Amino acid sequence: MNASAWHMLMEGAWTTVWISGVSIVIGVTAGLMLALIRLARIPVVDQILVLYISLARATPLVTLALFIFLSAPTFGINLDRNVAGILALTLNTTAFNAEIWRSAFRNFSRDQREAAMAAGMTPWVTFRRIMLPQMMITSLPGLINEMSFLIKGSPAIAVIGIVDLTRVTNRISAVTYEPLPPILVACALYMAAIGCLVWLQRIAERRANRLAV
Amino acid sequence: MFEKNTSERVRSEQTATGAARSERAAVSIRHLSKSFDGVEVLRDVDLEVREGDVVTILGSSGSGKSTLLRCINWLEQPDRGSIHIGGQRIGVNDAGRPMPVRELARVRARTGMVFQSFNLWPHLNVLHNVTEAPIHVLGKSKAEAEAHARELLEKVGMSAKADAYPGTLSGGQKQRVAIARALAMQPEVMLFDEPTSALDPELVGEVLAVIKDLSAEGYTMIVVTHEMAFSRAVSDKVVFLDKGLIIEQADPETFFTNPSTERVRKFLEREES
Repeated sequence: MNASAWHMLMEGAWTTVWISGVSIVIGVTAGLMLALIRLARIPVVDQILVLYISLARATPLVTLALFIFLSAPTFGINLDRNVAGILALTLNTTAFNAEIWRSAFRNFSRDQREAAMAAGMTPWVTFRRIMLPQMMITSLPGLINEMSFLIKGSPAIAVIGIVDLTRVTNRISAVTYEPLPPILVACALYMAAIGCLVWLQRIAERRANRLAV
Repeated sequence: MFEKNTSERVRSEQTATGAARSERAAVSIRHLSKSFDGVEVLRDVDLEVREGDVVTILGSSGSGKSTLLRCINWLEQPDRGSIHIGGQRIGVNDAGRPMPVRELARVRARTGMVFQSFNLWPHLNVLHNVTEAPIHVLGKSKAEAEAHARELLEKVGMSAKADAYPGTLSGGQKQRVAIARALAMQPEVMLFDEPTSALDPELVGEVLAVIKDLSAEGYTMIVVTHEMAFSRAVSDKVVFLDKGLIIEQADPETFFTNPSTERVRKFLEREES
């Protein structure tokens, strides 16, 4: 591989990292918000969310990305392909994250919540100061699992023309006729990204031990 | 609200110095009824707790003792009747509607509760368990809250463990921290829900000693307990609940030596054996 091939690979890696990163940040936060809204059990809203979650969980990423990118013009929206890619990844991951957060809510200690209420905390203070810090730690294994699924599923966005880390290896080998080197480097880069997540998870686990009462 | 708390604290400290006990009601319960799935757990309960009084609630399990205590700070909502804390009705506002959560939280903050299973917050160390509510509910500064917390931890003999996390403490230590946490809100009344029932027998003493000290300092306390000797030693009034009814209410001497009902006599005999 020559310098320009390396340059292309790095560009592809960067595309994968930033698009996945943005989707993860939005997806984790949006998932938490959906879980909160679902707790309120607002009639119609709740059914819509249930429908969204089951649809999003049942749709392959490639299909979702294509659908979003191709259907946008029908609604008169001129969607940038990066935005469409982020939207597809986010819609997909949010649904899974919402379920992870929801189970963290459901399993949260009633005893601790009662202690917070008895101390005069409002539900919001209880959530912010008592529940969320612990839920972040207990949900992290599930969330990180979902993040690594997202990164590994991200080549799906190539279907709408985004040149990500996987797609770029194709382009390089089309010029060099040597498909193996770029694909090997790409694998290593994916592993590095997932490795970072696993390392984060280990730190979280160390902190989680403290929560064992 | 804060100033009011302080003035009331001063008053209850005056009673601690041996002056005549205040006639003001710290907690006043009227016609309280509560059912769970059609089973009546509390039936038309009336109870008056004066400032500075220690009231222990006895009864066999399932008699409604814990439910009564948990109604006082609205962790359980009674079906009928009213509860006033320092003259303020809890759970129901002036218009007779359920209280908005913020208002309810403010009234709850006038009580402090100690739970059977401690219910400490495991992500916070001992010091921060104690300062959390004063900072985020009363709006105290961190420095002020921590200074007060250290005093309270000293009082319950836990100052050496201020930086420890709850997971590393014994049951007795956890419960003493939980007591300091409740005291930190400077409540007008302390509620103890079987504070020693989850403890190993050899750890019961250290927790009861702390509660005894508090009673000597003039705190108003309502204690649900199975510890007869303790009840006899600290109470100004003993209340006996049976199937959701208060069937006996007396000073400890009368209650333990000359109860007026056969039911209480049987209960005491069984406890002695």
